[in-house]
Amino acid sequence: MGNWLDERLGLREIWAAIFLRKIPKVNWLYTLGSATLFVAFNQIVTGILLTIYYVPTPDHAYDSVQYITTQVTAGWFIRGMHHYGASAMVVLAAAHMIRVIYYGAYKFPREVTWFSGVFLLLITVGFGFTGYLLPWDQKAYWATIVGTKIAGTPPVIGDYILRIMRGGEELSAVTLTRFFGTHVWVLPIMLILLISIHMYLVIRIGISDVPKKED
Amino acid sequence: MSEKPSLSRRDFLGFATWAIGGLIGLGMGIPAIAYIIGPALKRVESQEWMRLGAASKVEIGVPTLFKTKIERQTGWITNQTELSIYVITENGRDFAAMSNICTHLGCRVRWNVDQGQFFCPCHNAVFDRDGNVVDGPPPRPLDRYEIDVIDDQLYVLGG
Repeated sequence: MGNWLDERLGLREIWAAIFLRKIPKVNWLYTLGSATLFVAFNQIVTGILLTIYYVPTPDHAYDSVQYITTQVTAGWFIRGMHHYGASAMVVLAAAHMIRVIYYGAYKFPREVTWFSGVFLLLITVGFGFTGYLLPWDQKAYWATIVGTKIAGTPPVIGDYILRIMRGGEELSAVTLTRFFGTHVWVLPIMLILLISIHMYLVIRIGISDVPKKED
Repeated sequence: MSEKPSLSRRDFLGFATWAIGGLIGLGMGIPAIAYIIGPALKRVESQEWMRLGAASKVEIGVPTLFKTKIERQTGWITNQTELSIYVITENGRDFAAMSNICTHLGCRVRWNVDQGQFFCPCHNAVFDRDGNVVDGPPPRPLDRYEIDVIDDQLYVLGG
């Protein structure tokens, strides 16, 4: 049965290419990328679960989050995993980047892997910024007031940026829904696309060795 | 350390990886399922006595419709729902209260004065004055409420 399927699907080859590829002798810092990927997976799963109850309107956002946290079975756990996972993802992605810089792993032939990684970090920060507003509490509200205000500081175009981010002059229901849409549709699609490219390149090129003294 | 170990390092690490992965999967999967089905398993609200109105309004032999508002907590929203209850009496002393919700698929039945029967418009169900099924698909008679009369006021037990 397994052989019959594999003759048609060739999944074992893919499995071997992903998990049984040869790697140089490296240290634990080389697990930071995998750790980031793991947390990203956690964010996707818990994030999907949160949308089952969360409602992105000023009327219901705060109450639905409170409902998740205090009423729904294991809701505190799911929200907690998403909340702390968000911080962990930024920290791990940044640590992964520092490791790549420190070991010079961004050099030829891995420049494109590096670029995709830089965009992945930006997307992660974008997730953090848009997700921060969604609980619609005082902290969320004022952090987004400040954040959008900072985005509005460039001369000439600043005011347009601020208005586009807020969906108008004020922070409102329009802001909440566009942050929500960005957080659950735009950014996840970009993230999954870029992770695919990033992983394809890691598997295709292989990971870099720890640099030696003489390098 | 010269003898060949029965479990190689490679096999052990492979096994450990699957075991830890399985534990993490369970650690996320079980709460996830509980989280999804949790609200569905919650049995709502205790029943309480609700005042319908004056018993003297009920004519003998004619089902009379009473409406009462109850507060229901659904998720994080508290809203008022209107309950419609038919009260009937044969002698002015003993009362019976019936829900107006059809036992077939939950549409609302109404009392047809001319025919002396309850009708459900959805699938042409017919119930008699006591709520028994006369015609159509309902599986059981109209649901009854426990009813009590205190100082000419009707009370039913519900939620």
